[in-house]
Amino acid sequence: MTQRLRIQLGGQAPAAGSAHFEDFEVNLPSGATLLDALEYIRTGVAPDLMYRHSCHHGSCGTCAVRVDGKEVLACLTALDSLAGGIPVIEPLRALKLEKDLAVDPGALFRSLPKNTSHLRESEVEHYIRFEDCIECGSCVSACPVTARSWDASTGKVEGFLGPAALAAVHRESLNSPERAEEMRTVAERPDGVAACEKHFDCSRVCPRMVYPGKHIEMLRREFART
Amino acid sequence: MDYFDVAIIGGGGTGAATAYDLALRGLSVILFERGELTSGTTGRHHGQLHSGARYALGDHRIARECMAETLILRRIAADALEFNQGLFLAVDDEGESLTDEFVEACRAADIPATEVPVARAREWEPRISGATRRAVLVPDGTIDAYRLAMRFFASAASRGAVIRNYTQASGIEVTGGAVRAVAARSLRDGTETRYECGAVVNAGGPWADRVAALAGLEVPVTPAAGTMVAVEGRVANMVISRLRRPSDGDIVVPQRRLSIVGSTQRKVEDPDGLRPLPEEIELLLASADELVTGFSAQPFRAAWAAARPLAGRSSEEGREISRDIAIVDHGKSDGVRGFFSVLGGKATTLRRMGELVSDQVAAFLGKAEPCRTAKFDLAPYADYWRLP
Repeated sequence: MTQRLRIQLGGQAPAAGSAHFEDFEVNLPSGATLLDALEYIRTGVAPDLMYRHSCHHGSCGTCAVRVDGKEVLACLTALDSLAGGIPVIEPLRALKLEKDLAVDPGALFRSLPKNTSHLRESEVEHYIRFEDCIECGSCVSACPVTARSWDASTGKVEGFLGPAALAAVHRESLNSPERAEEMRTVAERPDGVAACEKHFDCSRVCPRMVYPGKHIEMLRREFART
Repeated sequence: MDYFDVAIIGGGGTGAATAYDLALRGLSVILFERGELTSGTTGRHHGQLHSGARYALGDHRIARECMAETLILRRIAADALEFNQGLFLAVDDEGESLTDEFVEACRAADIPATEVPVARAREWEPRISGATRRAVLVPDGTIDAYRLAMRFFASAASRGAVIRNYTQASGIEVTGGAVRAVAARSLRDGTETRYECGAVVNAGGPWADRVAALAGLEVPVTPAAGTMVAVEGRVANMVISRLRRPSDGDIVVPQRRLSIVGSTQRKVEDPDGLRPLPEEIELLLASADELVTGFSAQPFRAAWAAARPLAGRSSEEGREISRDIAIVDHGKSDGVRGFFSVLGGKATTLRRMGELVSDQVAAFLGKAEPCRTAKFDLAPYADYWRLP
């Protein structure tokens, strides 16, 4: 099938020029994804196109972009679902733009509590599993609070830790009871739970059904109880 | 003018492990990757941590190497592994008659394989095929391929290695029969920079022949496309493999809340822009159903193809080419001193690949430091991005 895509190019690096949009046409068989389309463009007409990707099946969390203003993982977005128009593909908000669709996820990782293990050793040999959050940044980009207080030139968000960090804080307090007090101190900061305005866009866009909004609400209820 | 002891070309698992290894030996390192780190083959791995059992009947040495690396990775990167073990299922005559030989071959390679009663296997994993006749427990597991590689990158960076993503090596300068410099172009702003160096490591994986061509050389690689299919839901917690000689679609790997069946193998000319073929997806889903009841009835999630970096050349379909690691010292083979290619290998043996090529690079540079990458816990993967 043939599909046109309107992709944001440029940005940040001086020589890259300011951000602008260009249309690209891709011709791929049914079943192809938005990530396949980006690969098609990069291996064809735009070899310098910058975007992030790694696992191609929604496990690594690198390929999140915005399609018509909504955060998605490019690797899980069927090209067929975009038919009938020219979708606008933009990089995530609330993270520093590198160029084109590639952002620097540094601010996201710096917001997460340190030394939280992605996989905890279980007491039983079986039934141990990685954390659900794949740190893709979709929730941070979708949140109206972070979007409002975000400095586009530095990628810095002032005044709100963000949904990914607060979800991680809650998960860590459950996984490691010995760190519950430390996690609570983080959540109780003015830029913690109190800064959340309950828009729940985070939960709506989360590709792994972590529902960060739910974790923030659970933290809020814990505070009220004690 | 910047000088680095070693320039590494290729930012996958092999380049990451090599950068960390050389940095630990006290060498200054710069690494170039044309795209995002792990965007080539590494991240697309189906995620099996190989005990080596899969290779026990075919290649003893690889089987033994996988087991040794499994034990090391469990020590240095525990939180990037789901260590739930694995079951090999004999579901037909071939598997049934092969089981004793399989267990023996595993044990000969120091892999603690144990036959377990089918009823016990079914207690562990209720959805294994009703046709299961014999079952063998092996120490397989699941790797978070992206985060394991990023732990090596984080460890390399914390030891001073310079990692440049979105930077494409555009030339390797050779004068007087030795490498002198690497030119690299930034995709960020299009500028090209020359970096003087004492040695160059080609860690290009399936693109290794293109990297070698920058120095006017050839290396034998056969890019092979491997297709994988992920469905929603964990059909099992253990890795489920079909007990037979390695073939298509005989491994089901749980990963997060997904299950992945892999893989197929077909030779390709170009490792870029690979797409799975509809018939491969069909074959994989049918094969998975023969191992785990109702696999194909789970909601479909994704199908993708990865380029395997098989060392050597073959006119065959590719499965027979060795998954072994090969190090080419181009000083010896082509008269270009200080240029080394690391070919082949597997995700499970990434650390070992780094060790083998670094041994040769360190010796070439006169650095008598041993490999120490098996000794320390790797840095948290988030540290790579966390550092400003």
